[in-house]
Amino acid sequence: MNRVVSRHWIFLGLFVLVALTMGSGIRLDTPVSDRTAELYNFIESLPEGSMLLVSFDHEASSLPEIRPIGQALLRHAFRKNHRLIGMALLAEGTAIGYRLMQQAAAEYGKEYGKDYAYLGFKPQYIAAILSMGESIPATFPEDYLGRPYESLEVLDGVATYADVAAVLSIADGSLTTHWMEYGRARYGVRIVSGVTAAMVTTYDPYLASGQMHAMMGGLRGAAEYEDLIACPGGGKRGMLAQTATHLYVIVLIGLGNLSYFLARRKKEKR
Amino acid sequence: MNRRVALVICFGFGVVMFAQYFSKHPLARGVNQAVLEYWQIIFAFALLLGVVSFFQNNIKQIGHGSDRPYRTVSLVGLLAMPVAAVIGGIGAGSPFLWIFENVQAPMQSTVFALLAFFVASASFRGFRARSVPAAILLGAAILILLSRSAIGGPLSGWLPDTADWIRHHPSMAARRAILIGIGLGSLTTSLRVIVGIERTWLGGKK
Amino acid sequence: MSGFSLLVIAATDPAWFDVDKLPVLIAAIVSIIVIFYATFHRSRRGKFQVREIAGLKAVEDAIGRCTEMARPLLFTPGWGGDIQRPTTIASMNILAHVAEKTAQYDCRLVYPTHDPVIMAVAQEVTREAYARAGCADRYRQDDISYVTSSQFGYAAAVDGQISRLKPASVFLLGTFEAESLILAETGNSIGAIQIAGTDSTIQLSFFIVACDYTLIGEELFVASGYLSGDDSILASVRAQDMLKVLIGLLLVVAVVWNTICELTGAAEQSWWSF
Repeated sequence: MNRVVSRHWIFLGLFVLVALTMGSGIRLDTPVSDRTAELYNFIESLPEGSMLLVSFDHEASSLPEIRPIGQALLRHAFRKNHRLIGMALLAEGTAIGYRLMQQAAAEYGKEYGKDYAYLGFKPQYIAAILSMGESIPATFPEDYLGRPYESLEVLDGVATYADVAAVLSIADGSLTTHWMEYGRARYGVRIVSGVTAAMVTTYDPYLASGQMHAMMGGLRGAAEYEDLIACPGGGKRGMLAQTATHLYVIVLIGLGNLSYFLARRKKEKR
Repeated sequence: MNRRVALVICFGFGVVMFAQYFSKHPLARGVNQAVLEYWQIIFAFALLLGVVSFFQNNIKQIGHGSDRPYRTVSLVGLLAMPVAAVIGGIGAGSPFLWIFENVQAPMQSTVFALLAFFVASASFRGFRARSVPAAILLGAAILILLSRSAIGGPLSGWLPDTADWIRHHPSMAARRAILIGIGLGSLTTSLRVIVGIERTWLGGKK
Repeated sequence: MSGFSLLVIAATDPAWFDVDKLPVLIAAIVSIIVIFYATFHRSRRGKFQVREIAGLKAVEDAIGRCTEMARPLLFTPGWGGDIQRPTTIASMNILAHVAEKTAQYDCRLVYPTHDPVIMAVAQEVTREAYARAGCADRYRQDDISYVTSSQFGYAAAVDGQISRLKPASVFLLGTFEAESLILAETGNSIGAIQIAGTDSTIQLSFFIVACDYTLIGEELFVASGYLSGDDSILASVRAQDMLKVLIGLLLVVAVVWNTICELTGAAEQSWWSF
């Protein structure tokens, strides 16, 4: 019973803390890490008009974290006048990705079909990644809106990964691994990513080995990226809540250890 | 007999797909593309199998009276989405997209958000300095937590550096070792499947 | 033209053979030889010895606990894998063993999954295990069910089953992603014994904190061989160990070679740069 009660108090404390900090509107400064700067520099260094394949490899559940990541990256890419092809390897990412691209494109006056296109969802991610390595038009004969691939000006001459500068995987799980294992290893396409914080350590070895070119991670990464492109958004807004939550967890760990050592001392005295 | 046919097909495709990986020849690429297309077609049928099974199972359980409210909600959801898609399409402003954005996405985010609550309760309950290695682990966790928050850098310059060192050296070495082990495990299992030693995927061993 | 001539043409013609992939081919051939050697030479070596893994010993206790408490056993393979994933196959081998025991003890086995193909295979595996135990009539197909392909829909569905059925033991063996801690903490909250195992490195840390026993990475493959009593699986484990030694040696050689090249300033001239 005690355990249940303590769990409930912990949950309630967390809820109140997040609600208060999210509602406060305070934006904390976040120094830009080398890792985020690397991704920024990579997109910055691409020649104007480079083709980027943006894959929305996430579900609706991670939207609060994924949206700021996606928005920051798309804004930067459109600002640099890169051409973008959007797609999704998870069904739930399809509508979200389309909406994010539409919004970012509207901010920079980009036109659908001319500056960007959205190919939609392809099931069976491994098969889809491999199939695009052989032929993107064969994998997606039509775009998300049902228009033939050939009718879109932005897709002119884009046949395989050889015609794109990089794949940008926006992911909340392990799908980016498949981009590296199949897209990169098999077809040599450069992989860059924006992933949720929980996945950062999973991709560290790939980044260190060069299998992944650059990466931005979590809400913190999004906040740093927003600073770099001077366009504050959801990342900066969420940093106070994230910082407070981290401190809350540290306090809980401390309390847990305190109760553990007190109980142990009591036991030893007996 | 059926099982033997499946094993022969598996062996044939396994060998062909292995061999085509090393070739740039148009024939090899064509074979690869064709197999990948069939893979997606097969998946569509598999999904259908899942939906039919889900439907049948829930109808049966509702009949038996077990978990009736939950199963009814599941079935309503299962039917409502395709019906909305057929009637109003899936484009902007459609009922399908409205349900997706205002019902499904928030519900999924809610379940995902539970993770934060469980992390909090698990850290309170399970993260104890019971031994020296556990205490080291605890110290590392606190360093990483601080470094990933906004106060990490301002608190001290060495904090993010130390956290990065932990992630990029001891932690990464351990993960690489686990990854190598998993890779080898995957390799041996795949080979056993191709040559027919491993038959669990057929639903049994005999 | 003989088959050998065709092979020679294929291997030497750049249109047929991609020379950039030669290192991968060599590594694959070496690995295949080692695996076949370990598999087909096992009969001369007698039984394989597997070091003691706490999670393996706990499997029997967990099943026994369900029987004593007259509560079900919940087994789920996680959201991250499909049937071709080796962890799923390893998980199926363990399921076969667990199902045989639950059949013998007349204990209910509940298996929710996110993949229709995994569901179909799991049904076959379980049905066969029940038949092997001589209790085919106790098999309940409805308990091996597909819930949804959506990650957190799956997490919510399994969470709901754990909360309502209150299984005495929960087996979380397979490929897990962010749903891992949600499931493990819910299992913990109802006081179930939990045995987890996955190849997802990030999720292992969650399982270690929230579960009673955790099979780390390839221990899952060992477990499937150990529990199923299949010598060919244990032979594969031995092959993996041999390959690990080879990789370890290669790493040592690479480090020494690179260090020497750096110290002597021969990095640019070395014929094989690591």
